[in-house]
Parts: sequence; structure tokens; C-alpha cells
Amino acid sequence: MKSAVVATALLALQSTTALAENPVLKVGFVGVTSGPAAAWGISNQRSMETRAAWINETGGYKIGDTTYDIEIVSFDDQKDPKRSIAGMEKMAQEGIHYVVGPNTDDGAEAVRPVAEANGIMYFPYAFSKSLYTPPASNAVLAMVANYQSGPAIYKYLMENKGVKTVAFVAANESDPLSQRDTGVEAAKALGLEVVSDNVTYQPDTTDFTPVLTPVIRQQPDLLVLSGVSPAHAPQLIRSARELGYQGLISTETAQDAQVLREGSGDLANGFISVGGASTPELASDMMKEFVDRYVKMFGEYNDESNTKVYALEYILATLAANPKAINDVEEFKKTMDTFEAPNPFMKGDAKLTYVGMTSFGQKRQIAVPLVVNTFENGEFKTLFVATVD
Amino acid sequence: MLTPRAPRPGNGKLAGTSMEQVLANGIYLGAQYAMIALGLTLIFALMNVLNFAHGQMYVIGGFVTYTIYGQLGLPYIVALLASCVTLAVLGALIERFLFAPVIKGSSREESTMLLAAGIAFLLDALILLIFGEKQRGVPKIVNGVLNWDFRVIMPYDRILICALAILSIIAFISFMHYSKTGRALRALAQDRTAAQLMGVDVDRYSTIGFALGAMLAGLVGGLLVTITGVNLGMGGPTSVKAFMMVMIGGAGVISGAIAGGFILGFMEAIGLAVLSQYGDITYLVIFVSLMIFLAIRPQGLMGKPWG
Amino acid sequence: MNGLTSKQLIGFSIFLLAIFVGVPMAISATGRWDFYFTLTSVALLAIASAGVWLTFYIGRINIGQGAFALIGAYVSAILVAKAGISFWISLPVAGIFAALVSVLIGLPILRLRGVYFAMITLVLTQVVTLTALALPITNGAKGITSIPLPGGISLFGLQILPPFDSMADTKLAFYILACILMVLTYLALWRLVHSRLGHICRSMQQNEELASSIGINIAYIRIIIFAISSFFGGIGGALFGSISQSVYPSSFQVQDSVNFMLNCFLGGLGYVFGPMLGTLTLYFGWDLLFTLGKYQLLVYSVLLILVIRFLPNGLLSLRLGNIGKGGGK
Repeated sequence: MKSAVVATALLALQSTTALAENPVLKVGFVGVTSGPAAAWGISNQRSMETRAAWINETGGYKIGDTTYDIEIVSFDDQKDPKRSIAGMEKMAQEGIHYVVGPNTDDGAEAVRPVAEANGIMYFPYAFSKSLYTPPASNAVLAMVANYQSGPAIYKYLMENKGVKTVAFVAANESDPLSQRDTGVEAAKALGLEVVSDNVTYQPDTTDFTPVLTPVIRQQPDLLVLSGVSPAHAPQLIRSARELGYQGLISTETAQDAQVLREGSGDLANGFISVGGASTPELASDMMKEFVDRYVKMFGEYNDESNTKVYALEYILATLAANPKAINDVEEFKKTMDTFEAPNPFMKGDAKLTYVGMTSFGQKRQIAVPLVVNTFENGEFKTLFVATVD
Repeated sequence: MLTPRAPRPGNGKLAGTSMEQVLANGIYLGAQYAMIALGLTLIFALMNVLNFAHGQMYVIGGFVTYTIYGQLGLPYIVALLASCVTLAVLGALIERFLFAPVIKGSSREESTMLLAAGIAFLLDALILLIFGEKQRGVPKIVNGVLNWDFRVIMPYDRILICALAILSIIAFISFMHYSKTGRALRALAQDRTAAQLMGVDVDRYSTIGFALGAMLAGLVGGLLVTITGVNLGMGGPTSVKAFMMVMIGGAGVISGAIAGGFILGFMEAIGLAVLSQYGDITYLVIFVSLMIFLAIRPQGLMGKPWG
Repeated sequence: MNGLTSKQLIGFSIFLLAIFVGVPMAISATGRWDFYFTLTSVALLAIASAGVWLTFYIGRINIGQGAFALIGAYVSAILVAKAGISFWISLPVAGIFAALVSVLIGLPILRLRGVYFAMITLVLTQVVTLTALALPITNGAKGITSIPLPGGISLFGLQILPPFDSMADTKLAFYILACILMVLTYLALWRLVHSRLGHICRSMQQNEELASSIGINIAYIRIIIFAISSFFGGIGGALFGSISQSVYPSSFQVQDSVNFMLNCFLGGLGYVFGPMLGTLTLYFGWDLLFTLGKYQLLVYSVLLILVIRFLPNGLLSLRLGNIGKGGGK
């Protein structure tokens, strides 16, 4: 069996390299693609591979006078910061200057010295502000942070649904706890009454009823699942509803409709989460084709990829805007300040730009449309769209 | 952050988690934990193997039921049986071709821990390749929620699964006590050499025992997938939790595993109710008290000393 | 028994030559600069694994080394980042602090044996992670970030070592540092195993009651060994915090504790250099398989199972009776 596996692996390697007629531009991915959080990294990696295969199939990507084939080099860090560093070193070794990932705060902080020493721009899915605030300058936040989406969601719900009280629940891990703390701050700043903010659960919890019982008894208008992983969301929703909770439930992370459908069915109706641009109201033809190609390549789409489709597009579009940046991240940083291109994944005249002045004091975040979704009968529907500055 | 907050004024009934609810949560958690611990302790008792791959076996059980009941739409009971059979076969193969030769060739029996960990990695890799990375769930087997005057709230499917788990535990104990195979297994667990002298085919019963332990993991996976769903990341943490229960009750003792499961279940239910204001430290308190308990009673509740 | 035979001396010299000259030369020849970090990790994880091996030596399965590595990482990080103390002072302090904690915890739990000790140390790893999440001094969930690189050392106004941030190649500096510490660790381990204490440990491993009956204070020996073990864990953890310039509660967790133990099993429990070889194989092996993409874990686990199936006493059992020369490449 082993030799068969090795053979197929080698075959897979050959088939990707055999295509290359154009010069190859390597873009890296360092993130978690095995273990409990595998879903995060795999949706990243697959988005990148889908897009790269698509580009290569249609003749490559033109940067300056050269047309490149795109190759994605992935490293599984197993959600371990020690491995993340090894992965980033590997990227440096491959001569890669643009890397997507890591998926967590600890990994993103740990690779910072390596990225800075080797001239690598990296695009983490981690919210820790110190990554993007000077003197740090090589990390670009690749999604909307919860301290940006949270206030927008709370404000919308206060104005449109009359929400006055809110409760927070988070997993007892670094990222969710940090997100809960910033969420609580934001809610208080908006004048919401926070009725419960210290209930946490272990990441290995299998029964959320005892966790949620004390929270639900406080009868908040809104229950926020801070930094909830896609695996836990349906169970938390189900437990809350079965306990008789009538209010709203929201989260600031991206979720997958299929997972919610299977895990909580109609109980998830009205659940509010942050998505990208794949709801029918917003998705451009290109986004729809991306989803089709993703399904063809990997069998099943993951809605988390709606936000994860962007990082690679930003890297390539910025390089196209300034071809000198291909081996020089300082050029990339210069271009970031003025860069602007049409957003190919969204209908209308949305733009790709770098933002983050308000949160970080420098443009170290990609502008992903802040699309707030609500889950209705198995599908996501757009609740409202906002922008981050 | 550590100051307890007064309950919201208004309906007095809603002020905290009721005693009855804590009891119900404890029984439900305890029943599922006990079942997970049973298989692990059985394997440990028979072969002195701490099976790091137990959680992964549980996950496979969940995925098999998901595929057959959730995807193919066959009756739930068929799916549950398929989970049991799959895991029993898998367990037998693992014992026959991996554990048995390694135990024979190893100078220190703890070396099987490395093998168990390797198998855990392998099963993780296979689960990822075969079933994918997403959280999976199946349609509810029963709808509706029991709500007894807001004192006890428990969905009917949980009650059913809890009852099934308790029935399975009873069936397992009866099997161990009254069947010929069960008696042979118990003899083997008590004293391997003596069992051999009494004419028990040690190799054969080791395989059967391992298959039985793996089957229990598959069964509980198939039962719980209806409530919690399943994903590839549940394996490792489940093993660790199962280890704890086994230690509380006493390693290698069937009744100890059941006791350990219920104790951990109740500790969580009570801890989460009593310490909810101090959220961040609930589990810290549970783990520390576990350490203190083991330090005072090193062989668990009813274990043989120095398991 | 304490002296080295000439054969061992030659082997040891070759080993030193290999890691301090051979590896840097091989790396600059092949241009695989990324191996520096991997080998640095191997060295510092091997230090922590050496501690686990030592607890095996008194017959205890230790799945708690992640806890002491995390403690060491935090102590060093807090001293360097918050109190502004030199890294070179924080390094031994981290080890000593971890050792002190292990004495306090060891007093009650070292009475446990077999799987019970294994489990309680596993729980300990979770306790330390959760404590790091809950305490204010560790910055809780936010972790400690932007830890300065090690400064220079000067003695009587003479600079012995320049600050790391002024160096052109911090990778090489960390590699050399980690290797020196690793060599010292294994020398200490080797010395200990071949001393009277090592002899007592072996007798305890076989039968504690018997050892006790001939007048050995086994409780005292156990504590000493556990403290030394945890000291190694603390040092390894502190060094990692300095390399990554950040420490989080998740920097060392249950999986790391398990891995430390597996390193010992894989290398071979009967050999002092077993954990070093085990760490090299397990950690470096994963890196080498990275080109396999999604089949990486599958191939890795199959290879692991094959090794243990055919070499159940560890890799070093291939060459029985020799002191084995792990490490290097």
C-alpha cells in the first residue's frame, strides 16, 4: 500500500510540473491541513490550488512582460508554531516571497522573525494586532478581523433588531479568547449590556448543553460565539435552541452552509456569520466559475473559501501592478499604499485595495468585502455589506 | 473578570442551573464517557496496551454511521451495526498483525505506546483522505425536546442515546460475566499465565478482546454522531479524556471505567454549573482536582495498584 | 567505567566535528539554509527529550515534558521581555524554575507508577496550558510577543559574544547555541548514567522495593531525577521562545509531551543517545516528507509503524551494545 501511495504522490508531482512551459511563480502556503483544525487550512490551500490551476489552464498570469504559471507550495504546520517556523524557512528556501497563512495567532507571531529576515510578505488569518502594527511590516491580514466585523454586526442588530443585551461564549484557547475580549470591548463601547462573558468550553467538548445552560438563563438578546470553529458552531447552535433560547446567534468567523445544514438543520435559521462573496446576490460570474472549478477539483465546496479566495488574487494583482516587487517585498510595500484594482469576485464596482489605517496605523490588511450572512433554510443570504477602512 | 455577576432580575426559575438539570447532564455525559472508557480499559486489561488510537477508532465509527445513515439513507440500526463490524475487523487486524508481534519482540512493553501512537497518526491520515476535513452530522433520529417546567431540559434524542448507551454497558457486562468468551477474557485480564495454563488460547482471545474493545469505540461513535456529529479532530482529545476516566476508576478494571466515566461526567456537569462565572478556570479546577485525587489515591478508585 | 574508551572518544569527536563543522559545510555547499532551523529544533527538542528519557530510566513514563518546556519558555520570556533581564541569565533561571516546580509536583505524583504516572503527567501538561491562559503575568490568551533576541555577553569590558540582532546570520548562531546545549545535556546524561546514581536508577527501574530495602532513599532519588529532567525541559522551552520571539499557551501542549515520549521510544530506551536519534528521525522525517503534500501524514505514519514493527526496541537496537552516534547528517 505504501509504495502505491508513494507512486501516486510522485505521479501527482510530475503532472503538476510537466505542465510548466511558462516560467513558474511560486506562492507559498503555511497552515494547518491535518488534525482538528484541518478545515481552516485545507479550505485555504484548495482555494489557492483551484485558482492556480485555473490560471495555468488559461495560459498563465501576466506580470510585467512575462507570463507566469502559478505553483502553490504548501506546508502543513499541524497548528504547531514550531512547525510554522520550519514551514516559513522552507518557503525562504524555495525562494518564495509571498506566503499565505498561518491560520493562528501563535503561528503568525512565531514566523515573524523568519519572514522579516528573508524578505517574505505573509498573509495570516490571525487577528493579533501586533502583527500588523509598526514596527511589524511584513504581515498582511488576509480577512476581516473580528474587532472590525463585530462592531458592524452589533450595531446593525441594535438598530434593526432592537438588541440590547449580549452574551459571549468562547473556546478556552488563545485565538477565541482574544476574539471574545475584543468583542466584549466593542459591545460595551456601543452601549450594549454584556450579561455574560466568562463562560468558556474546552476545544474537545462534545456536549454543549451544560456549557450553555448558565448563559441561556441570562436570556441575552444576542449570543455571540467568539472565534467559533466550524466544527463547534452547529453543536452550539443546536444546544442553545434546544435549551429554548429564542434570541439571535452570531459569530465573526466564516462558516460553511453544508456543515450547518447537517449539524443543526433548521435550528440554525437566523444564524449570523461573516462570509465572502458567494451568496447569489453578490457573486460575480468569475466567483461562480471559481466555485464550479473548486467542486470539480475537490468534490465539495467549502464556504470558508469565500473569504480565502482573496489572498492569492491580491498577491498576483499587486505584483502585476508593480512587477519589480516579484523579488523585492519593499517594492510590494510601496505599491500597497496606492494599489487599486477591480474586485473580480463581486458584482458591481467593488475594489481590491489595502486597508487597515484605523486598526493598525498602516495599510496591512486586504480589503475583503465585509459580507454579513444569515443562514436561512440551508443557504446563506446576505444580511448587509460593509467595508473596512 | 472574576467577579460573579448577580443573576438578572425577573423569573426566579431561570436564575441558575437547576439541581435536576445538573443531574441529567451528568448522567448523559457519564453514560457516553463510560462507554468510551470501557473499550480502552478492556484493551488495557488484556494486553497492557494504552491504546492511543482509541479516539480515532471512535471517530471512524462515527464516520461509518454518517456514511451509511446520513449519506446512503439506510436505517440507523444498519449503520450502527456496520460501525461495530468495521471497527471489530479493524481492531482484530491491528492486534493480529501489529500489536501481537511487537509485544513479543519488545524488551519493554511500554514500547507499544509508540506503535499505538503511530496507528493513531495512520488512522488520522486515513480519515482525512477518506472522509475529508469537514464537520459532519446526520439527521436527527428523534425530534422534540423534553422540557420539564424548565427544571430539566433534555432533547429526546439525547435521552434515547443515553438509554442505548446504558443498555450497551449492561449488555457488555452481562457478556463478560455469562458467556464463555467473556469468562475467558476475564481470566486473561486477571492473570495471563494462569489463563494459559488453564487452557485458554491466549493469542486468539487477545485478538477477540482487542476487536471487542475497538467495537465498543465504534459503537459509541455511531451513537454519538447523531448528537454531536463527527470530525477528524475529535480522535486525539477523545483518547486523552478516555485515559483520564480510566485512571479515575482504576486502570484495567471494567467497573472502574464505568465509575470513572460517570465521575468525569458529573465533574463537568457540576463544574460548569457551579463555576460558570469563573468560566476560564472551570477546567483548570477539574484537572487540578483530578491530579490531587490521583496523588492521594494512586491506583484510582478500584484499580490494582501499579497498573 | 567513568572514563571513555578510545573508541568512544573517537566516535564522540567525529560527532562533534559532524555537527559543528560538517553540517554548516554541508548546508553552505547544498544551499539548504532551511535545514538550520529544522536541525536547531531537533537539537532543542532533543534536550527536552533527554529529560523524558531520564525519567524512563527510573521506570516512569513521562508525558509531561511539554508542561516544563512551556514553563521554561514563559519564565525566560517574562524575564527578557517584561523585566529586561539578559537572555543568558534567563536561560538557566528558566531551567531552575522548571526544576523547582517539578520538585513541588513530583513530591506527590512520583509515588505513582506505570500508566498512572503517565496519565497524571499528561494532565499536568493541560493544567500548565490552562494556567498560562488564565494568569495575567503570562498575558493570558494574547501570549508574549516581540521578545528581543539574545543580547551580547561581555566579561570585564571584553565582548565575548556579540548580540544576536547584530549578527548577519542568527540562524547559524541559534544552531550553534542549540547544539552546544545539546552536547552538554547529553554529556551530563551520559556521565549521570555511568555514575553511582545511574546504577541506583537502574536498580530502581527494575525493582523499587528491592532498591529501597538495601537502604537507598528512593523518594529522594526520584525527585532529583525528575528535577534534572524538568530542568532540561525548561531549557529547551526557553530556547524555543527566544528563536520564535514569542510564547503562547499553545507553544507546548499535549501533542508535544507525547512527541517527547515517542522520541525516546523510537531511538530506544536502552541507549543514552536514543532520544537524540529519535528526535532527529521523527522531526526531520516529517520535514523531509513535505513534498508528498496531502499524503505526508499517511507515509509518515506508515513508516513509523514499520519501524516499530520491525525494531520494537528502538532504532539503536540495530547496533546493540554500542553507545550509538545520533545526530548530525
